[in-house]
Amino acid sequence: MSSWLDYTINGLIVGNVYALVAVGLALIFGVSRLINFAQGSIYLVGAYIGWVAVVQLHTPLPLTIIFVAVVAALVGLIIERFGLRPLQNSVRIAPLLATIGISFVLDQLVMLTFSPNPRALPSQLPDVRFEVGGGTIGPLDLLIAGVGISSALLLFVFLRYTKLGWAVRAASQDRDAAMQMGVDVNRVNQTVFGLAAALGGVSGLLVGMYYNQIDTAMSLQATLKGVVAEVVGGAGNVPGAVIGSMLLGLVESYGVAVFGTSYRNLFAFLLLIVVLVLRPNGLFASARQAPPEPLTGTFIAPSRPVRIPRWALVVAVALFAVLPLLPVSFYVLQTLINAWLLGMLALSLTLVAGTIGQVSLGHAALLAIGAYTSALLSLTLNVPVGLAIVAGGLMSAALGTILISPSFRLRGHYVSIATLAIGEIVSLVILNWESVTRGPIGISGIPPLSLFGYDLVDPRTVYWFAFAVMVVLALVQGRLLGSHLGRSFRAIRDDDIAARAYGLSLNRYKSLAFIFGGFAAGVSGGIAAHLYSYINHETFNTQQSILALTVVILGGLGNVVGAIVGAVALVGIPEMFRIAAEYRILIYGIVLLLLVRFRPQGLLGTI
Amino acid sequence: MTTGASEPLLALTDVNTFYGQAQVHFDLSINVGRGHIVCLLGGNASGKSTTMKIILGLMKPRSGEVSFDGASLIGLTTPQIVRRGIASVPEARRLFADMSVRENILMGAFVRNDREAVAQDLDKMLTLFPKLGQRLSQRAGSLSGGEQQMVAMARALMSRPRLIVMDEPTMGLSPLYVDRVLELIRTINQEGVSVFMVEQNASLALEIAHEAYVLQTGRIVLSGSARTLKDDPRVRDAYLGGSEAA
Repeated sequence: MSSWLDYTINGLIVGNVYALVAVGLALIFGVSRLINFAQGSIYLVGAYIGWVAVVQLHTPLPLTIIFVAVVAALVGLIIERFGLRPLQNSVRIAPLLATIGISFVLDQLVMLTFSPNPRALPSQLPDVRFEVGGGTIGPLDLLIAGVGISSALLLFVFLRYTKLGWAVRAASQDRDAAMQMGVDVNRVNQTVFGLAAALGGVSGLLVGMYYNQIDTAMSLQATLKGVVAEVVGGAGNVPGAVIGSMLLGLVESYGVAVFGTSYRNLFAFLLLIVVLVLRPNGLFASARQAPPEPLTGTFIAPSRPVRIPRWALVVAVALFAVLPLLPVSFYVLQTLINAWLLGMLALSLTLVAGTIGQVSLGHAALLAIGAYTSALLSLTLNVPVGLAIVAGGLMSAALGTILISPSFRLRGHYVSIATLAIGEIVSLVILNWESVTRGPIGISGIPPLSLFGYDLVDPRTVYWFAFAVMVVLALVQGRLLGSHLGRSFRAIRDDDIAARAYGLSLNRYKSLAFIFGGFAAGVSGGIAAHLYSYINHETFNTQQSILALTVVILGGLGNVVGAIVGAVALVGIPEMFRIAAEYRILIYGIVLLLLVRFRPQGLLGTI
Repeated sequence: MTTGASEPLLALTDVNTFYGQAQVHFDLSINVGRGHIVCLLGGNASGKSTTMKIILGLMKPRSGEVSFDGASLIGLTTPQIVRRGIASVPEARRLFADMSVRENILMGAFVRNDREAVAQDLDKMLTLFPKLGQRLSQRAGSLSGGEQQMVAMARALMSRPRLIVMDEPTMGLSPLYVDRVLELIRTINQEGVSVFMVEQNASLALEIAHEAYVLQTGRIVLSGSARTLKDDPRVRDAYLGGSEAA
C-alpha cells in the first residue's frame, strides 16, 4: 500500500514541473490571448542548456539553474521581439501559426546541434531516499518542489506588489485600457515572455534531471502537457494553471499506477477533452466570460484569390497526366506520388481549416485511421485493396467526425488545442489497443495497391492512380465550394454567431466539412499504407499535421488549387535541391514563419 | 484660466482618417481651449469614437495634425501621449474587471512616481467620489454601471491630467447617475482640467459644455458656443443622423 503515497508524491512532483510550463502559458495567454506553442521548445532548450552546463561546464547546481533561466529568458525575449511583435496588427491566426513555426525551428536547431539521441542529465544531487510515512522522497523531489513553490510565491509577489506586475494584470484584462493608463504593452509582453521562458527552461532542466534523460521529443510533450494544465485551470488564470498542473500530475501518476506507463498521456488528453467540452473556461473560471472573439472574420487573412483560367488548369492536369509517358526518372514519379498523397491531405485540411475555419493540428490522425482501416481490412479480412481504401476513407470520415464533434462548440485557438489532443489520443489508442492494431509492433506485409484484381506495382500506374484520386477529390471539393454549402461554410468561418442567427446549424455544417475532409484524408492514408507496406503508430505524426497546415497556408487557406500547388511545392522543392531530411523540418518551419509574416494569404490567396 | 488662451490646449487640424478604403474623417478640425469643456456631438457612425482614438494615438490619421500644448502628438504611442498629460475615460468605462477598485484607481497613476502624492490623491478621490470609499477592496467588475463610471473618472484624474477625454460618459447610466456624472465633470473642470467629451445626448452635453462641434459622417457641420448651439434646430437633426434618416 505504501506505493500509493509514492504515486502521490510522484504526481505532485511532476505537477510542479508542469506548473512551471503552464504558468508561463497562462501569463502569455493572459496578456496576448495567445497559446504559445513554442513553450515546449523553450523547455527543450532549457534541458539542453542545462546539459551543457552540467556535463561540459561542470557548474554547481544553483549556478546551473540561474544559467538555464537566463538563457531561456533570452530565447523568450528574442521570440517575442522578432517572431511575434511584428504580427501585432496581423490576423489572429498569425501569432498562433508563428509560435508553431518557431517551435519547429527551435526543435530542429537543438536536434541538429545535439543529435536526436537521448542524453543523460545527471542531477548533481546525492542519490539518497528518505522514508516518509511509508513512501520515499529524494533530494531532487525536494528541489523540484522548492523551485515550484518559490517560483509561485515570487510570481505572486511580482503580480500583486510591483508596478510592472500591475501592468501585466491590467494588460491581461484590457489591453487598450491599460495603454490608456500609460502602460507600455510591448514592455509587458517582453516581461511576460521572458518570465514564461525562464520558468519553462528551468522546468526542462528539472525534468531532465528527474528522469536523468533528455531527448528532442520532449518539446511537443511539454507543450501539450502545459496546454492541458493551463486549459484545465482556465486559460490565462495563473493560480488555475498551478492547480490544473497538480491535478494533471496526480491523474497521470494514478493512471500509470493502475493501467501502466503507456497510458500516461492518454489520461492527460482525455482530461483535456473532458474539460474543453464540459467547462471550456476551465475548472475555476471566474464569473467573467472569456473575452468575446471579434465578430468579423479576422481569424483568417482576407484576400482576393488569384484567378486561374479554367484552360490553364486543364492544361496543367493534362501535363501531369501524361508525365509518366515522358522519359522521367522513377525518382520524379516517386516524389510526385508523395505530393499527390499530401495534396489529398491538404484538400481535406484546407476545407476544414480554411473554408470553415477550424484550424486542425491533428489532421494526421485522419490519415492513421484510414491507413489502419484499409491495411487491416485487406490483411485480415482479405477485402480487395480498392474497396479497403474506400472503407478507410469512410471510417476516417465517420470516426474523425465523431471524435471531433464534442469540440464543435469551441472556437479559434481552442479548436486547435482540441484537434491536437484528439490527434494524440488516436495515436495513443493505436499504440495501446494491441489486439486490433498490433500495438508498438505495427502492421507489416500490407498488400500492395490493386484495383479490380490488377496489382498496381509499376510506379507509373501508382502515379496515375494517386493523381486520378486526387483530381476527382479536388473536382468534388471545388463543386462543393461553389454551391450554397460552400457559402454556408464560409459564413460560419467568418462569423458563427451571425451564421447561427441566420438559421445555419453549426453542428451540421461542421460535421459535413469533417465528413468530406475525413474521407479525403482517410483515402490518402489508405493509399499510403498499401504503398509503404508497413505502418505503425508513429507513421502519421504531428509533424505531418503541421506539414499539411504549412502546405495549406502556402497555397492559401480554403483554396483547392492552392492546396495542391502547396503540396507540390513543399514536397518537390526540397527534393529538387536534394536537401537532407533533417533540414527539411527546419525549412518547413521557416517557410511557415515567412508566410505568416509576409504573405498570410498564401500564394494563391484565401477563398 | 480661460483668459489669455491664445493657443488651444488640444488642436486637431485638417485630419483625414481612413479604415482601409473607407474615409472616416474629412478635414476634421477641432480646438479645445484651455480650461474649457468641449463637446463633440454626433450620431452613430459619424466618426466620434475614431476622433478619440486619433487623440489617444490608438489610430493614426492619414494626414493632418494633432497637437497638444503646442507640440505634435503624431507618431507618439498611447503611453507617451498619456505622459504628456491626457487621460481618458473610455467608452463603456473599460475597468480592469478582476482588479479591485483601489487597484483600478491607482492604475490611473501608473505614469507617476511620487508615491506620497499619489496616496494623497487617492484620498482626494474618495472625497470627490464618497461612494467608492466602502467599495475599495471589491472587484471592479462587481460594481453597478454608475459606480463603474465613478471609478473610471477617478482613475483618469489620478494621472493629474491637463486634459481628460471622455467617450460617452453618460451612456447606459440611470437618470440619477447621469446628473451626477455631469455635475462631476463640471467640478473636475472647475479645478482646472480641460475636458473633451464625445456624446450622442446633445441636450445633456450642451448643459455643461462651453463649446461644441457637430460631426456628421466625418465632417464638422456646425460649431460654436454651447449656448448658441442649444437653440439651433439643426443640432437636433445632426445628432440624430440627419433629417432623412429614420
